[in-house]
Amino acid sequence: MVSDAVLARLRGMLNDVAAQFAARLPDEGEGALNSSADQVDALAKQLATDASLLGYLHTVAIEGLLTERLEQRASIDPILSPLWQELIASTDPMIAEIAMQALAAQSRFMQAQRRMQHPMGEMPPDTLERALEVLARAPSISNPADAERAIGLLKSDYDEAESRAGQIARLVTAMRGGTIVALELEHAGFALFASALADRTAQPRERAVLACHKRQGARLALSLRAAGLDTAAIERQFLTLEPEEQAPYGLTNLSVETARALLLQSGTPGVQPELS
Amino acid sequence: MERQASLLAARGVTDDRDRLLSADDPLADLHARCGGTLPGTLAVPELLDLVQQGRRLGLKIAREFSAFDGVNMVSGFVRVHPRDGEVGGGCELFIDNWQSQVAPEPNSRDTAQRLDAIDRACAEATARLDRDQRVQIFDVTGPDLDLLREALSQFRGSVWTDHVSIEGMAHRQPMHWRLLDGARCRLPGSQRSWRARLLPVGQSNGAPLGFELFLVADYPFDADALDAESASAEQTHTQIIGASVTPVLRQPIARIIANAETIRSRLAGPLRAEYSEYAGNIASAGQHLGGLLDDLADLEVVEASDFSTAREPVDMGDAARRAAGIMGVRARAKNIELNLPIPEGSHIAMAEFRRVLQILINLVGNAIAYSPHNSTVTVAAHTAVDEGTVSLTVSDQGPGIAEDQAERIFNKFERLGRENDGGSGLGLYISSRLASAMEGQLGVTNAGEPGAAFRLTLPLNLSD
Repeated sequence: MVSDAVLARLRGMLNDVAAQFAARLPDEGEGALNSSADQVDALAKQLATDASLLGYLHTVAIEGLLTERLEQRASIDPILSPLWQELIASTDPMIAEIAMQALAAQSRFMQAQRRMQHPMGEMPPDTLERALEVLARAPSISNPADAERAIGLLKSDYDEAESRAGQIARLVTAMRGGTIVALELEHAGFALFASALADRTAQPRERAVLACHKRQGARLALSLRAAGLDTAAIERQFLTLEPEEQAPYGLTNLSVETARALLLQSGTPGVQPELS
Repeated sequence: MERQASLLAARGVTDDRDRLLSADDPLADLHARCGGTLPGTLAVPELLDLVQQGRRLGLKIAREFSAFDGVNMVSGFVRVHPRDGEVGGGCELFIDNWQSQVAPEPNSRDTAQRLDAIDRACAEATARLDRDQRVQIFDVTGPDLDLLREALSQFRGSVWTDHVSIEGMAHRQPMHWRLLDGARCRLPGSQRSWRARLLPVGQSNGAPLGFELFLVADYPFDADALDAESASAEQTHTQIIGASVTPVLRQPIARIIANAETIRSRLAGPLRAEYSEYAGNIASAGQHLGGLLDDLADLEVVEASDFSTAREPVDMGDAARRAAGIMGVRARAKNIELNLPIPEGSHIAMAEFRRVLQILINLVGNAIAYSPHNSTVTVAAHTAVDEGTVSLTVSDQGPGIAEDQAERIFNKFERLGRENDGGSGLGLYISSRLASAMEGQLGVTNAGEPGAAFRLTLPLNLSD
């Protein structure tokens, strides 16, 4: 699951996160680390020690790459999919408004991915908390009060509702019962597809994204079944994502409830299985 | 940000111990249906989790949530904003995309199994019966069940119904197990009321080989509560209307009114005028019935022996204005002017605001009902410092009240000979009971003159 492209993005994003933190530290002046670039490198190295953080950024990189690949292979617009167009043109002004805001966030996300960046405001709250904890312990920070202040600044700037994942989740909620139409990749685009899949199967969004990766076919098939798709629709999604891979046989025999139960029981490497 | 605010369905505020301090209607309603009080710990589990998480991390978080309110599945998108360092240190909640759907019908077999499991876990006496319902082995743990334990060990192999009295069944026992399953019963030596569960053992088809018997109490044993319980038993019986009848009847009555209104306004299609009128009659009869139900529930409350009211400073001017605001539509319908010459904050009584408002709504409503079109209803206030009282007088320009009626008018179910005006004859009775409960009184000041005047007198607020 780790290719060079993923690795490069992972490195880039780690550096970017470290830089965002370093930017909120005061200038150290003479005698301390001689340049902020060194500080950024040191912080990035510190961040890379945390497995859960790496796992999260890995998922982000995979989403970015998958979205790009879908554009090349299946001409699926990475930002404005047909479904998104429909939502923006919705007669319900509330949905149109939320869709527009979420679209802007999606466009920023794709731009950030091309630059291998990841704003801290885009992280889920738990991941952000973890990242800040790890950064605060970095040996390269000479004064703990500085770290404290930087954390305070970053925390007060944070609002999950403003993040891309938050905006899309809000859009998916606003679609009410209609989320099943977002489970058609060609129609919805990857971002809405992943959020709708997460919403309908009660999984974290990161896990829904990972399921779409190569060699996670069984998990994807199970998730799609749990979300209520029939065999033909599941096969279409496989064909779009990985043309050379086939959907597992016998899915029709698996009831939606059983699929849901199986999903709940299974954990993911790198992601803590949730107790529920 | 402006736009986001306009999408808001509900807003709420919690404190540093996750107690919901204030909330807009939909949220407050959901909180109450989940068993919460206001203020009280947030009772919606998913929201409580999010608030705790937001507070712990000190981060603004935003999630979808869903909750079951007993009837509907409610879901929405909530934003939790921790209020760091501010007074209280809790969170603010903003909810949009509020939606409420009828919950899917639970699988009846699963539900039955869950209920069986609950009973099995809560039973304070369990026994294994043979096919003729004779006790083979038993285990009695309830602290007030010594007599039952003795009886069972003394008469081994006896039929279980010999030792308990099944309520409402004089038939020779034991009856068929299906009839006994779920029966209410009394156990020797126990003040509590019990429920028997009989679950057949053996193949599901064909006659059972034996039974599991569980005796489940309605509430746990509490030695201290025993005396208090018997004292208040009488009370709980008298509050049957407010506690059980009103909630059950309110919905069907509301539906009758709504449907009749639909027919009356010909929303469902053209209709002859007479039928539309009949529907109007049905609607007003329904409204009368609803009002009567509210009155009866109030009556129960004010007649309960432990009825008491809160004591807080009440601005009579404010109360009068609010009552007038609520009754404004009715007044405008008859082109009646509501005249309220009371300055804010000048007449403060020591009473309970809610109850004062209830009395005033009743008085102003009566005044409007018995006044001619295009007249004036006046509410005036007066503070008598030497007597330590504050009074409000509601006067109208109607026919007035005869002297012989002035006393009777406060009696229960007194209609003064009127039959079809939609009243229950309880309004003034309830109001006068409320006034006495607040150490005040309600009376007619100008019996025999034209234009009725009712005066509500309450103790003056001396606290400042």
